[in-house]
Amino acid sequence: MAVTTRSEARRAPARPPGGAGGRQRRPDDTRLALLFILPAVIGLLLFYFWPLVRGIWLSFTSWDLLSPERFVGFANYERMFADPVFWNAIWVTLEYVVLNIGIQTIVALAIALLMQRLTRSTLVRGLILAPYLVSNVVAALVFFWILDFQLGIGNQILEWIGLDRIGFFTTEEWAIPTIALVNVWRHMGYTALLIFAGLQAIPQNLYEVARVDGASEVRQFTGITLPLLRPILGLVLIISVIGSFQVFDTVSVTTSGGPVNASRVLQVYIYENAFAQFNFGYASALSVAMLAILVVVTFFQYRITRAGQTDLN
Amino acid sequence: MTQLDGPSTIAAPVATDPDGGERTRPTGARTGRKVGVGRIVAWAVMGILLLITIFPFYWMLRTALSSNGALYANSSSLLPADFSWGGFQRVFGLQSVDEAIEQGGSGAKIDFWRYLVNSAIVATVITVFQVFFSALAAYAFARLRWRGRDLVFGVFLLSLMVPVIFTLLPNFLLVKQLGLIDTLLGIILPSMFMAPFAIFFLRQFFLNVPLEVEEAALVDGASKVRVFFNLIIPMSAAPIATISILTYMTAWNDYFWPLMVSYTDDSRVLTVALGSFRAQSPQGGPDWAGLMAATLIAALPMILLFAVFAKRIVNSIGFSGIK
Amino acid sequence: MTTARRTRTAGSPSRRVRRRITGSVVAAGFLGLAGCAGTAGAGATTSIDYWLWESLQLPGYQKCAEAFERENPDIEVRITQYGWGDYWQKLSAGLVAGAGPDVFTDHLTKYPEFVSRDVLLPLDSLEATKDIDESGFQEGLLDLWTGTDGKRYGMPKDFDTIALFYDNRMLEEAGMTAADLEGLEWNPEDGGTFEQAIAHLSVDANGVRGDEPGFDPANVVTYGLASGGSGGGGHGQTQWSWLAGATGWEYTNADVWGTEYNYDDPRVQASLEWLFGLVDKGFMPSFERVGTAPNPQQQLGSGQAALSPDGSWTIASYGRLEGVDLGIASVPAGPIGHPVSMYNGLGDSISAQTDTPEEAARFVAFLGTDECQTIIGEEGVVFPARPAGTEAAIEAFKEKRGVDVSPFTDLVENNYTVLFPVTTHGAEILSILNPVMDGLYIGNEDVSSLTQVNERINRLIAE
Repeated sequence: MAVTTRSEARRAPARPPGGAGGRQRRPDDTRLALLFILPAVIGLLLFYFWPLVRGIWLSFTSWDLLSPERFVGFANYERMFADPVFWNAIWVTLEYVVLNIGIQTIVALAIALLMQRLTRSTLVRGLILAPYLVSNVVAALVFFWILDFQLGIGNQILEWIGLDRIGFFTTEEWAIPTIALVNVWRHMGYTALLIFAGLQAIPQNLYEVARVDGASEVRQFTGITLPLLRPILGLVLIISVIGSFQVFDTVSVTTSGGPVNASRVLQVYIYENAFAQFNFGYASALSVAMLAILVVVTFFQYRITRAGQTDLN
Repeated sequence: MTQLDGPSTIAAPVATDPDGGERTRPTGARTGRKVGVGRIVAWAVMGILLLITIFPFYWMLRTALSSNGALYANSSSLLPADFSWGGFQRVFGLQSVDEAIEQGGSGAKIDFWRYLVNSAIVATVITVFQVFFSALAAYAFARLRWRGRDLVFGVFLLSLMVPVIFTLLPNFLLVKQLGLIDTLLGIILPSMFMAPFAIFFLRQFFLNVPLEVEEAALVDGASKVRVFFNLIIPMSAAPIATISILTYMTAWNDYFWPLMVSYTDDSRVLTVALGSFRAQSPQGGPDWAGLMAATLIAALPMILLFAVFAKRIVNSIGFSGIK
Repeated sequence: MTTARRTRTAGSPSRRVRRRITGSVVAAGFLGLAGCAGTAGAGATTSIDYWLWESLQLPGYQKCAEAFERENPDIEVRITQYGWGDYWQKLSAGLVAGAGPDVFTDHLTKYPEFVSRDVLLPLDSLEATKDIDESGFQEGLLDLWTGTDGKRYGMPKDFDTIALFYDNRMLEEAGMTAADLEGLEWNPEDGGTFEQAIAHLSVDANGVRGDEPGFDPANVVTYGLASGGSGGGGHGQTQWSWLAGATGWEYTNADVWGTEYNYDDPRVQASLEWLFGLVDKGFMPSFERVGTAPNPQQQLGSGQAALSPDGSWTIASYGRLEGVDLGIASVPAGPIGHPVSMYNGLGDSISAQTDTPEEAARFVAFLGTDECQTIIGEEGVVFPARPAGTEAAIEAFKEKRGVDVSPFTDLVENNYTVLFPVTTHGAEILSILNPVMDGLYIGNEDVSSLTQVNERINRLIAE
């Protein structure tokens, strides 16, 4: 180890990356940064920002896709607040997100830990990731078949065990939990892989030190793993929640929002208004509502998990 | 909170150990039976998870090898109902239209290999460009210092939440205005510049690259650009490989956008073509055998890709490589 | 420095760079191709794009297009098929961006919205389709496609009605014959001989039939009547249009373009009450069993149900069920003395955005000729709108499927039909009806709630 170089570098006070207490010596990287983020910014402006602005504009209009839009001010928003199906959609979506993310995170964390501790086998890793290979729609269709009340093997197994058959997609109580579980199945490997990458980033010697100090497995987990996993876990949670709020394919293929309105999540309602009923203005207002919810939720998540910081440096 | 107590700890050689798990095993042996039981339980849990993960695939295979007409009659047997290769034949376009319709298929023409190549091109180009541009941006957010950095980062975070219906029509209009309807480039364009998720993901890992290493290189006279290409990227090989695989899979499985952009076989990708196995009319059912066969076949290229790149993900070279 | 050297060998930045270059080359290649993609055939021929969703009909329409091209060598027809789930979105997006088809298959629930937004070209304004002879089509079909301004917006394509599918072997087991299913009568109060037949065909887990003592409605193995769901998504076309219609009830206050629906009428409410009441009696599967996307063919094929009311467009699918000896019976006669079925018809419309309206019109005109419709009929998939085509279809069904489809066609001949309701706000109305119907089926709601729903719907139309 080049000790001299190291100690020279160490003279700089340890600080969180990008934080305050700047070293005036370091030149400002603005020009370089602009170059580095240029392609991403082009993508952002063209394919995200412009559509966002246009979408927000449309939420103040009445537009049926086929004729020019008409400005209507806050009419869509007024309608939205008085719309029971909208509030139902929010409620149903929240229920879905909590179930989906809750179960998915726990399962993915368990898988990632198990993968790290038990085996480095590529085969296991591949198998775990396999559900993500299947498209959303096909996964939903397969489970639609497997969990069919009469013909599905899932209910057959329930019967063999001695339990009653369950209308997984056909009863109001089970519709959302079933859809949540189907998506857990599909995403748990993907999420586990992300968390696993984060686990890899934790230096092994920390565990060594802790073990030498006599810490139990659980203590190691809560004292080392969780805190150092926080940035990745926080990121994964944020991304998962955002994606989860926008669930659409699974619902549209299996329950279409039914029975009655038990699974009419927000995105399904938005699509119905936008493309089936030609109420694009109203659908845009609904989407802005979804956006607002996501912004608030993400903001709190970011704060609570302090996902922007890392404890490693 | 950090338990680092000095550079020596960071530098302590944890050997590039592909099976880092070994390190924990001596402990297990030391505490003996207690962890032995724990290990069994752990394997049992893993086993159950694997079973739940794999069983639907078995079901897909079983259905793919059945014939559509018999499926409803034999719904609960674990073996294919009236074994038939029909599903796979339809996927590869090997059945005549009449035959296909007879067996419950849609009779649509499937030019399988062409769609496969299209999908591969689209997924590869998107992955290469998206990951590269996202890595550039991630580095800018993680390591470069510039005014407004956090604000711009927040804007990127916002883009992750842009509602799907907002982007569909404007992107479609833009692609049309550029004359890229029914081209692969038209499909690729919206995704190739960046993905918010990739930027975040990589930023988190770049943040974790020890500052000292980087500073040492800078002091040695390397420019930030060189640091990026010759230091950060190799050290982040594992997360980059991970995000590449995930991006590839997402791009491969994308259905709706390629459906919008493609009008002819010129730009049709596999997922869109295989959409013909889904229910075609309001009260019809899907071509189950064909659909399941199609899904399995469509997953194969990605399985191969994963097998090739798996080593990258297995080896935690990135971080234990710090000596 | 040790670190840098080690990582340089362990990683592979050069590989990364190589990949990038390969990627750029490929992309550049496609940038080049991008310019020349899609503009095929800039010769002397005009191209027309025709879209449809029914994949089973694709071969027939290919043949039709070829016949048309032979007679019109200056026009090339490109047919594209998109499944129902994608069809309307692709169409809408295409219309918004000006990248839509010239001619497309249209549906009665969508076309009023298109008409009111000037998306469709009136056929009367084009040379080839100026004078469509109404009598050339099955009665009433052209009216469906005539707007409130009296202009024609769709060329009738085909029609469909409802009948009962059954498995002869199940009848045998029940000691019945096909003749027993003829001339059945129904009424909303006690179900008439129709309910008796359904009851007899229902079998519980102990082998007890629905009309025998000791029948256990909670443990039924075979239901007398298959379930197509609540019907809220399509005005009960296959599920109960033939029940409510047989009481003399009509959907709206006019044949087409009605301004008020009649869901507050006691006749439809009684019919629905009878139908969903079958669940408790054990004669029809519950909502829990079948869900929001029920598959009556599946129910018949797996022996779960004995009689399946379904549309004529599913004849081919039922014919393909293995182990089923298919028979078709007419829906039962109602209090008005005869059976009634909903009568729906698809049409071909011309997009207002087309660059080639006259050529599109020539194609549409051809689609409405005996020549084309006979070709379609011979495929044995649907009933074409022209009588010649219908005859060809009847023959084809007999030959290819071995089934006698007269229960479907007799209704049309005798005019025992009620038209699919054509009003404004079609899709919105269905989205209001659907959850309510589901609720009725599940048993959460009472049929009287339809009265309020009806008011809501009528207010919507009045807007």
